[in-house]
Amino acid sequence: MQSNKNFAERVDWPLAFLLFLFMAVSLIAIASAQTTEQYVRNFVPYQAAWYVIGAGIITGVMMINSSLYKRAAYLLYGAGILLLVALMLAPNGPGQIAEPVNGAQAWFRTPIANLQPAELMKTVYILGLARMITGHHGTHLIPSIRSDAALLGKILAMMALPLFLILQQPDLGTALVFIAITAGIIVVSGISWRLILPIFGGIAAFGALLLWMAIHMQDFLSDRLGLKPYMFARVYTWLNPYAYAENEGYNLVAAMKAIGSGELFGKGFMDREVYVPENHTDFIFTVIAEEFGFIGASLVIILFFMLIYRLTRIAIEMKDLFSMYVCTGIIAMITFHVFQNIGMTIQLVPITGIPLPFISYGGSSLMGNMLAIGIVFGLRFHQKRRTGLTSDFSS
Amino acid sequence: MKPTKSRRASQTDLKMKSNSSFRLSILFFVIFILFSLLIFRLGYLQIVKGEDFVRAIERREEVPVNTSVPRGRMFDSEGRLLVDNDPVNAITYTAMRSADREEMLETASRLAALIDQPADRVTKRDKQDFYILLYPEKAAGLVTEEQRTAILEGGGTQQEKQQQLDSLVREQLTDEVLAQLTQDQLEVLAIYREMTSGYALSPQIIKSDGLTEEEFARVSERLSELPGVNTVTDWRRKKMTDLTILGSTTTPAEGIPANKLDYFLARGYSRNDRVGTSFLEEQYESVLQGQKTVVKKVTDSKGRISDTITVKEGKAGQDLVLSLDSELQKKLETIVTDKLIELKKGPHSELLKDAYLVMMDPKTGEVLSLVGKRVGEGDNGQPVVYDHAFGTFTAAYEMGSAVKGATLLTGYAHDVVDVGEVIIDEPMKLKSTPVMNSVFNKEMGTRIPLTDKEAIARSSNVYMSKIALRLAGEEYVYNSGIRIEPEDFRKIRNSFAQFGLGVETGIDLPGEADGLASADPQGGSIMYQAIGQLDTYTPLQLAQYISTIANGGYRMEPHIVKEIRSPSLDGETLGPIETVIQPEVLNRIDNTQEEIQQVKEGMRMAYTSPQGTAARYFADAPYTAAGKTGTAQVIYYDDPESPFYQEESLTLTHVGFAPYENPEIAYAVVIPYITTDLEYVIGANSQIARAAADTYFKLKAERDGGDDLTIKPPYRPEEAAE
Repeated sequence: MQSNKNFAERVDWPLAFLLFLFMAVSLIAIASAQTTEQYVRNFVPYQAAWYVIGAGIITGVMMINSSLYKRAAYLLYGAGILLLVALMLAPNGPGQIAEPVNGAQAWFRTPIANLQPAELMKTVYILGLARMITGHHGTHLIPSIRSDAALLGKILAMMALPLFLILQQPDLGTALVFIAITAGIIVVSGISWRLILPIFGGIAAFGALLLWMAIHMQDFLSDRLGLKPYMFARVYTWLNPYAYAENEGYNLVAAMKAIGSGELFGKGFMDREVYVPENHTDFIFTVIAEEFGFIGASLVIILFFMLIYRLTRIAIEMKDLFSMYVCTGIIAMITFHVFQNIGMTIQLVPITGIPLPFISYGGSSLMGNMLAIGIVFGLRFHQKRRTGLTSDFSS
Repeated sequence: MKPTKSRRASQTDLKMKSNSSFRLSILFFVIFILFSLLIFRLGYLQIVKGEDFVRAIERREEVPVNTSVPRGRMFDSEGRLLVDNDPVNAITYTAMRSADREEMLETASRLAALIDQPADRVTKRDKQDFYILLYPEKAAGLVTEEQRTAILEGGGTQQEKQQQLDSLVREQLTDEVLAQLTQDQLEVLAIYREMTSGYALSPQIIKSDGLTEEEFARVSERLSELPGVNTVTDWRRKKMTDLTILGSTTTPAEGIPANKLDYFLARGYSRNDRVGTSFLEEQYESVLQGQKTVVKKVTDSKGRISDTITVKEGKAGQDLVLSLDSELQKKLETIVTDKLIELKKGPHSELLKDAYLVMMDPKTGEVLSLVGKRVGEGDNGQPVVYDHAFGTFTAAYEMGSAVKGATLLTGYAHDVVDVGEVIIDEPMKLKSTPVMNSVFNKEMGTRIPLTDKEAIARSSNVYMSKIALRLAGEEYVYNSGIRIEPEDFRKIRNSFAQFGLGVETGIDLPGEADGLASADPQGGSIMYQAIGQLDTYTPLQLAQYISTIANGGYRMEPHIVKEIRSPSLDGETLGPIETVIQPEVLNRIDNTQEEIQQVKEGMRMAYTSPQGTAARYFADAPYTAAGKTGTAQVIYYDDPESPFYQEESLTLTHVGFAPYENPEIAYAVVIPYITTDLEYVIGANSQIARAAADTYFKLKAERDGGDDLTIKPPYRPEEAAE
């Protein structure tokens, strides 16, 4: 299994360099963000520590023979589900292990750090899904609409379980991440366009219809479909934050003021003027955009784009479908996080509480992402070169 | 696995692989589009709209603050202070947007060490909150584990569960538990609750009442250790007289009255602003209320105020100069009060409660004096008199013969009686109507021919009743029936309204009443309407009516504010004039000068001719005057508990003006329910009128005239005596 290539050549250094850049951006942004003094703790050393631990995770994961991931995929998926179930059943009183934070029971609170099982679940879900699709292709050598439909059914079934558990917490943002991952993998999984296009089109049309109804037919939605007023509020706040600037719209208005007033060149490091709550985590992009302007903010977006580009390159170079699906899932996950997080600060999408990968402060999120990236490193590290495309993992 | 299958599989795999690579490229392209969207939107916000947001930040924290600009003061017509502002020291706290509870608690405890804060406004609920804040674990321990799990496993959202838990904790926090809070902690709480009752970025008064100079100094020295705390000079409204019509304001603790919250908030008020809630303070709220200082609070990235820049300097409210002369007012009040007490001590005064005297300038409508007094019973059973000045425009009574001038002028206007026409005064008997006669002619069959002037001077009920019948198209025939239509009443009412009787006078005070028009008047009562014993009018309406006759037929709008002035520049003289309230003619009555003159002459005769009803009181006046008395026999309906409920009693009125040739004052006196003895003849109404007119002319003689703008201290009767 071990390639003949030496160690250094098998590590994906461009990817490592990108991660290093992200660490730099993250530490600078958090250092500035915490001058808001919303919290007393100095987050910079913590985030640096998380990066060091993350590097350890990457190295560790990379060293594991990547065939193991595939073999253990279902097991890991099962373990992830068990964790989510355990979280749901755990005692959630004040001071207890699963005490809700901001109304969501999404964390295990331990003295060292708060752990969010959903972050881990994302990665193991990708592994499980990739394994399942590869297995399906192994048994259905000539795909037909019928077999594709069966595959789609199995994918949706696999998604339903974690989605249900996470919506119980409730954590809409993370649930959407699962949908994004699934959508990305479905596109690449080889399912016929004749199935994908109507379904995706249908979902898009349905979404647009719901949005239209939320504005023009609220009574119908709330009386017949049982939607709650706060759900409408989120849509209205998104469409017209200034009408709710004193309460629900406050975050969005503050974020846009911060970002917009950064203009082209920004106000300079630590020279922010606008107070945005939670700007070291979910709203960290406002710090970057206000202090470094359009140029700095665009550079961060381009950095993410380069990461996606690198991951896509790696995915295409992968010689087996399993690795490719895993990479695709990770690409979809990171893309959704980035688009949702930045998009919500600039009124492109409604506000949902999910962090900006690699930059927002937070151990669970960074560990989850590092684990995912570690798997990419590992897949690449153990990739056999110049051998035929034998399905060596399936034997 | 079989090699054949493996080969086929690997071929399929290859095909799948290239297919997937293609699809991955499509996915990548979609991602490219999404990221481009982000950058485009970012560019739009930061480059296209960037300047707007920069401006929005600059504008953002421009907030009007309660820098306590003093409310406008009130002066009487001579420049004497009526309402002033007393400066008082205050300690305020301004909550930052980012302020958290621990920080505020810390500030509160530091402040508690510097000042004494009474804990009397602290509620039990406050104490409970404070206890939970101080001892979260102890408080949580008050709920048993079973109760907690029962709630947590029960239905409802997280929020509802939390509420249930909270209310359970509160139930356990009984007075005994709360007694654990020490005196020092209670003092901190008393400060803390004031701090939290404010609004973000708006100064909240922590202590003002009972703040000593030492406390003020101690806190001032340590402001740097007390974030958000400031020492300021506030002020308190101070009325120099007990005159009710000056009105009242709320205190900052009361703030804007709840029922007018939206009205004031929409006009840029803060919730803890003082606002006028009654009479002049309410009527002239927009004038008296100053303009607040608008400051730009430069908040740093921490949401803290780092600097405040004044954008617009605040302006004190404008002063009101009233047409009221407080010396005249005081003297007239004394006259009315003395008479009221004298009457109350006399016989048959069971129903007597109020007495009113309105004096105004008939040419301009300026109200010179507005006296209303109410007598009540003091602790020792002695009568005590309260100010009831607002009754002059909120209380309505049957005014009796005082309105006969209007009846006669109505007759002229409708051509049912000619100037100088003689009509026989005789007791009138109509079918199903009580006998109507004049006080001076009660013998059935006695016929006294009267001119119109004599009818006024001697107060002939019959003359006026016959006019009323003619207005209805009837002529008096002994014991005949009459047909009166509702529009006949309306005809008289419309005409009376031209004098201001039965309609709002338009005075610049809120809550004015327009009197009561009898809802369903029947036939013969039209004669009672003609002699003022049917509809009710306010004393101020009566004054407006006599002014209208005095000035030759113009109904003037009465007003109590003469000028609006900017705040005094030097504190010595009144500030520059902003607005002079101009005399306003509401309407002209439908009569010729000859007709009006005829009525005025009749009123002059009432004062001077031997048979005149007020000749006893006015014949020897050193000035020329004219007027009309009124006596209304009324049935008392005010208080169903009273033993005199539905009993008859008398209301005495008097209207007049002086000097006769060129009137300066018009006055109206009303003493409702003065006696329950219908035969008891007293001239209290005319006595008050005579004394009031005397006082006016005496004061006028004392004054050298000339416009003096000096601010004078409030009028005190004892000073005047020196």
